[in-house]
Amino acid sequence: MAAFWKRRSSDPKVCVFGVDGMPHALLRRLMDQGVMPRARAIFGGGLRRMRVTLPEVSSVSWSSFMTGSNPGTHGIYGFTDFDKGSYRIRFPSFASLRAPTIWDRLGRRGKRSIVLNQPSTYPAREIPGTLVSGFVAVDLKKAVWPPDLARKLEEMNYQIDLDTQKAGKHSDYLFRELQSTLRGREKVLGYLWEREKWDLFEIVVTGTDRLQHFQFDAIEDPSHPNHVHCLDYYEKVDALLGRVFDRFAAETGDDSGSGFFALSDHGFTRIRQEFYVNAWLVEEGLLSFRTGEPKSFEDAEPSSKAFGLDPTRIYLHRKDRFPNGCVEMNEVPELCARIAEKILLLRFTGEPVFRGAFRAEEIYSGPETVSAPDLVLLANDGFDVKGWMRTGPVFGRSHFTGMHNWDDAFFWNGGPMPENFDITAIASAIESRLAGKEE
Amino acid sequence: MEMKGFTIWFTGLSGSGKTTLARVVEEILRERGMQVEVLDGDVVRTNLSKGLGFSKEDRDTNIKRIGFVCHLLSRNGVVAIASAISPYRDVRDSNRRMIGRFVEVYVKCPLDVLVKRDVKGMYAKALAGEIKGFTGVDDPYEEPLNPEVLVETDKESEEACVQKIIRTLELMGYIPGADASGETSEEEEEKIRQRLRDLGYI
Repeated sequence: MAAFWKRRSSDPKVCVFGVDGMPHALLRRLMDQGVMPRARAIFGGGLRRMRVTLPEVSSVSWSSFMTGSNPGTHGIYGFTDFDKGSYRIRFPSFASLRAPTIWDRLGRRGKRSIVLNQPSTYPAREIPGTLVSGFVAVDLKKAVWPPDLARKLEEMNYQIDLDTQKAGKHSDYLFRELQSTLRGREKVLGYLWEREKWDLFEIVVTGTDRLQHFQFDAIEDPSHPNHVHCLDYYEKVDALLGRVFDRFAAETGDDSGSGFFALSDHGFTRIRQEFYVNAWLVEEGLLSFRTGEPKSFEDAEPSSKAFGLDPTRIYLHRKDRFPNGCVEMNEVPELCARIAEKILLLRFTGEPVFRGAFRAEEIYSGPETVSAPDLVLLANDGFDVKGWMRTGPVFGRSHFTGMHNWDDAFFWNGGPMPENFDITAIASAIESRLAGKEE
Repeated sequence: MEMKGFTIWFTGLSGSGKTTLARVVEEILRERGMQVEVLDGDVVRTNLSKGLGFSKEDRDTNIKRIGFVCHLLSRNGVVAIASAISPYRDVRDSNRRMIGRFVEVYVKCPLDVLVKRDVKGMYAKALAGEIKGFTGVDDPYEEPLNPEVLVETDKESEEACVQKIIRTLELMGYIPGADASGETSEEEEEKIRQRLRDLGYI
């Protein structure tokens, strides 16, 4: 019955199709190779390469997308952060977000949003509409708004995410669960699409990020035994994209996709070497530990000058920030300049490892800049910076094969967008579209 | 969380927005259950510092008196908020040393903007020579070198300035955060930690 009755309301609607970590270059290649024919038909020549905010991780990027602001305003700088005035690591939650989301802003204009599998919204809170949180959500009961939706999702066997530990060890499990979670999301999408009236519908596919972390070598190498399984997953994502687009077009009459937004939150590329920033700080004499096997920064010597947090953040051991801090505020500029100079000179087999090292005020703006890292690094593609708590070699490899990058996310919308834009510009474009205005 | 006293010291040229920001910050801190006292430079000159003029010596005495009261309040668990031009760096720094838990907020605004604003009509008089020794016009203002918070009221909204100040106080551990609810349990944190480890983030 629902398909029979097309709601062609005169009020504009928007649909957002997010693909976590999908790189522009890979998407373009898969479109050209015929692996993603629906993407090719929908996006055509209009596919755009997009920059995101730094650091280029999902928690930061999606927060930038959903608030339309940079980390200096929304206050999320990574999956981890230092607890106030301590060395303890905390995990910023949805409640840590310091700026209103696009769904809140639309709600003030009487618009309702349905948001499915949005990373960095856990624990879920009230939004004007419906929210199903994505990564790093752990408990379904706390991952949905309104709360009574949890029971329905349980009945539908909805799975928030796959078991990341197993996925890293067993590729057969990874491929099976990627398919299963994708099917589960489509099932819930169908249910929510018809359940209530909405103005903005958003779904994020996150399996792409998991696949690329563990199988980027297989994606790139046609002779790899898992290559075909990787392509199979991209085909499924492509088919879902096509069905969502068709459904949206049928409902709204918007065949051009002016209300359809597709994006990823960062790019991905193959890892050549991992770079362990804390090991480097130790080597440079800027960090030392009281123990040979440090568990946290509480094990750091008070004389330490800097710490590295995932993935590319450097925090100076400032007196105003840490209980045993030893860096005075007036030492900060010189110390940052010294670290930046050294790290930009760093080479691996003759190639520069980094292409940028930025002070907070160079890349962030807004009241949350006060809680920003002192220095944010930008690595060249192939050098995956890890903020792991370790000493020892500065370079190395682990079982990971894919790494995020900053300037190869993708974006598509059937309407006009400014020539130069980044992920923070999308929210206002969506709001304009829903207000019936062109950007 | 045990509340300890501290001092927030607003410094900046006349008309830059010190008193406005101090009053909003006062309100937020009271809402969070803190005891707060505001010492406004203009008000203090009508009682505690009555009779003092605007020579450097008198200005220093005024700031030292305000600093001393802030010190007494802070050590008794009160948040003392001082809002005074306090143009001289050495006296501000001496108050910082005496008080210890001291948060300097530099409320910055260019002179040309202040002249245009001229809320109290003082700049017009000072520029016309009707008032002598007016800070920023014919009397010096020594900018803080390392304030805990810098707000620029010609560029930032009042809301953004207040948020910056409150966040700094939270980050310094001087006031409780506003987002205690909605956080994750220890058990959930352990699961999150494991997932982040599995994906190589930590």
